[in-house]
Amino acid sequence: MNPVVRWFHQLGSPPYFDRFAARWAPWAYGIGVLVMAWGIWQGLFVVPADYQQGDSFRILYIHVPSAWMSLAVFALMAIYAAIALVWRIKLCEILAMACAPIGAAFTLVTLATGSIWGKPMWGTWWDWDPRLTTELILLFLYLGIIGLYHAIDDRRAAARAAGLLAIVGVVLLPVIRYSVVWWHSLHQGQTISLLGPSKMDPSMMPPLLAMVIGTHIWFVGSLLARARADNLWREAGKDWVRKLGEAAR
Amino acid sequence: MSYQNYVIAAYLVFAIVLLWDFLAPRIRTRQLLRATRLLAARKAASVPSSPTGELPR
Repeated sequence: MNPVVRWFHQLGSPPYFDRFAARWAPWAYGIGVLVMAWGIWQGLFVVPADYQQGDSFRILYIHVPSAWMSLAVFALMAIYAAIALVWRIKLCEILAMACAPIGAAFTLVTLATGSIWGKPMWGTWWDWDPRLTTELILLFLYLGIIGLYHAIDDRRAAARAAGLLAIVGVVLLPVIRYSVVWWHSLHQGQTISLLGPSKMDPSMMPPLLAMVIGTHIWFVGSLLARARADNLWREAGKDWVRKLGEAAR
Repeated sequence: MSYQNYVIAAYLVFAIVLLWDFLAPRIRTRQLLRATRLLAARKAASVPSSPTGELPR
């Protein structure tokens, strides 16, 4: 068998996944923190202030990566949920459900930091603008998925129901992405483009790039740690978990 | 720094949420392993060795 395929099969084994997650999650957290620390340092103290927004623009170094993560995590959660529904892979159910609280956390950061930036720049903490409103709906969707997962006793049935909600919820992602194009919006349009030229000055880009990479690496660590906890919960009572409990004494 | 309080507040929110994201799964894992250990200890303690003190015949 192909070694990569064999590794994927092995990863589906709960004890193997536990060892894998316990080993790699701290590394992902550590590298993520280091990359983000560099990005924050550059964003707060090195990059010059914006000529219009002053130093308030520095909030975007956490706001934009969090906003991107809120969408990317939801998309990944829906992919895991779809795989879990079609092929009944337990690990994919666990990974999909582990995505929800992380995505909710990034969505909360997006809304909170956007609100904090909005007060001095727009003169208000909140506006029922299409981008803000759709992002708020995304937070409610995340919370709905988390709630549904914990409302049903049968773990597998709960993951399937919540996964279905995640798959249906994907229709919201393009609405959020193009809300500033489709409707008249107070929120600014696309500033940063990965493929074409950006409206942002190149000197302001490196910290943003570091924050985007750092949050993604952090997400990997968090996903592994949360999936490990859920895996242990589902496997509670099995011999390997009992041995692990004894070893952790 | 202009708008200093707003910038500090935003970065503080980011740090607090990430700290929660880091701690929550660790605490849950620790609690699960502890519960597993306690359950195993309780099961081991409840196995009757010889309630009447009689030797097995």
